Amino acid sequence: MLAEERRQRLSAAMHEAGIDCMVLYGNAWQGDYLRYGADFGILEGHGLALVSAAGEVELFLDSATDAERAEIEAPGVRVHFAAPIAPAVGARLDRMANARLAAAPRRFLPRWLTDTARGFALTDATALVDRLLMHKSPAEVAAVRRAARLADEAYVEFIRAVRPGRRQYEIVADIEAYLRGRGCPDNFMIIGSGGKDVLGMAPPSERRIAAGDLVTTELTPAVQGYFAQICRTLVVGKANEAQRRAFAVYVEALEAGIAAVRPGARAADVAKAENDVFRKHNLGDYTTSQWTRVRGHAMGLFADSKPHILEDVETVLEPGMTLIVHPNTYHPDAGYIVLGDALVVTETGAEVFCQTPRELFEVAA
Amino acid sequence: MRRGLIARSPTELPDAVFDARLDRLRAAMRADHLDALIVYTNNTLPAGVSWLAGFVPYWSEALLVVPLSGAPYLVAALSFRVKSWIEQVSRLGDVLHTPRIGLKAAQQIAATQPAAAVGIVDFDGLSAGIADDLREGGPGLVLRDASMIFENLRARADPAEIALATRAAEIAHRALAAAQGASLNAMLAKAESTARELGAEEIYLAAAPDLERQTHFIRVEGEAALGKSFALRATVAYKGAWVRLVRAFCESTVAQEAAAQFARAATLLPSARGFSGFQSWLIEGCRMAQPLDALLGSRLTSASPLPPGALVSAQGVLAIDGRTVLVGAPVLLGQSGEAASLLVDPSFD
Repeated sequence: MLAEERRQRLSAAMHEAGIDCMVLYGNAWQGDYLRYGADFGILEGHGLALVSAAGEVELFLDSATDAERAEIEAPGVRVHFAAPIAPAVGARLDRMANARLAAAPRRFLPRWLTDTARGFALTDATALVDRLLMHKSPAEVAAVRRAARLADEAYVEFIRAVRPGRRQYEIVADIEAYLRGRGCPDNFMIIGSGGKDVLGMAPPSERRIAAGDLVTTELTPAVQGYFAQICRTLVVGKANEAQRRAFAVYVEALEAGIAAVRPGARAADVAKAENDVFRKHNLGDYTTSQWTRVRGHAMGLFADSKPHILEDVETVLEPGMTLIVHPNTYHPDAGYIVLGDALVVTETGAEVFCQTPRELFEVAA
Repeated sequence: MRRGLIARSPTELPDAVFDARLDRLRAAMRADHLDALIVYTNNTLPAGVSWLAGFVPYWSEALLVVPLSGAPYLVAALSFRVKSWIEQVSRLGDVLHTPRIGLKAAQQIAATQPAAAVGIVDFDGLSAGIADDLREGGPGLVLRDASMIFENLRARADPAEIALATRAAEIAHRALAAAQGASLNAMLAKAESTARELGAEEIYLAAAPDLERQTHFIRVEGEAALGKSFALRATVAYKGAWVRLVRAFCESTVAQEAAAQFARAATLLPSARGFSGFQSWLIEGCRMAQPLDALLGSRLTSASPLPPGALVSAQGVLAIDGRTVLVGAPVLLGQSGEAASLLVDPSFD
């Protein structure tokens, strides 16, 4: 059981750090810390899990609907509906005031719990949990691998769904339905369509697909809470020469980034390998934060986990880290282009999970 | 993370609606001697900022700053590249981008009024990191909780919000009506695509796959076996308005009787006496930023008052002729002396 394995790893880390009770915060945006300890995928409101060093878990939720769901979906966890949540958790922590208490991510906790007027103090254990989140066990890696396979399959559906005249949100509806039909309840997905006027991706809009559009997507389904991402770009109609030339830069950058992935390399090395390709093609300006957010990131219980792949991130890569390398950015001759593959860091380099060809797909105009 | 249609509609949410809400808010701020008000948003807690500015973050977080005079502005952790998207889907004076939204918001307020009185909606629930940054960015600012002010304004739905919630309820009904197929996942897929094609901003689908064994709704991952009777629940958002609707799949006479009993109970709200015959029941509605807060229910140890004119979603468990059935729908509470009304028919046959 993944949940039990995670709880044992957390307990071991808490013992080593001298922590008696860990408070894990989560919401539907940033739910990975909570899910790690409580194995609950929160959808509504705030959640706080109290995990003892012995591995016992109490889960406080301020959504009655989610609390009801947790009673079934999180077996072995004592669930409390508590609104407002902070005083309820505070009352529980008051009874443990002499214990060594920690929290992750501490900066996300409701302010009330960190107020100096409280009778307990919560040290920041974010880095401790971050290490656990980053270094996946073989079972966790297997879940990411299955999610990546699902991402590949969903991208085939995406290619089918893109047709001139359809609106962006109708395309996303097809993909969400496809994933639902496969028993996958969670996905992160953004989309872009158009030409050189498009600077990035966003949630789906009412914009209609037109001949000549570049259509970009990040598709990120989850399996047992573990996300895996694929990024691809297609053209509606035949790709023109400028689009083909531009896309070749991204293929080269992605290959360079993946080649830089190996144990001991830093996240910065991967980003530099990708960006050097753009610099070589006199596109260095488009590797800055004005045009691109990150050159990849880790994936796991959160779709956008640490470390981010950027030239100033010193995190050292180790076997078991699951990442996406994606040199997504704007190209002045073609518009916004995305290309990225999910992978795991192995003992010798990287195992790429995504099987979808790295090509500029074309659909009928 | 949100992945439905997020779009601004000048017909469904005209500027005048936002202006009227801001006018009411500013009158309350003046009465409470506040120079500015801050509302937090992320995709879990979107309902405060969407009500004031139409903005719903698909991920990440932001603070809306409402000065006593001048246009509200957003301080967002989303990157600069989505500035134009935010401006397209929202009504804002400006959007500022920074990873430390508390620091920037406080600096902006303090730049013109270093000792401003700043109200914060749900200050106790605000992230500790943001609260620390607010103090760092504006050491002279007087920060205090403004939950009551906002809750009082937010409680009664205005006509625009009622129209949006009614549309959300229609989408939910059509999604659940479309839920057909050989397996539970096939049914969920139909409901999902129907809601999203109708422009839902979000849909959360849950199932109680076998009512003879369990009445709790779960989010289905993988495949779940269906019992003879089961239920689906759609939680739908449409342009910031959230509703829940339940469809029971059971003998039609049982489903019809459940819907009738539910309708009688719901229209008696805010009195909960109509739910006395239910095995369990829950009333949810928006108080501040969480779209559907638990307000009243058989399992709740404390109750929040149901204000006249509020939009709520009710759901319950009934036993009819020895069979367990789930039912639920959104309800508009009447003004003083008026009956409540259902936003959509809770029956499907």
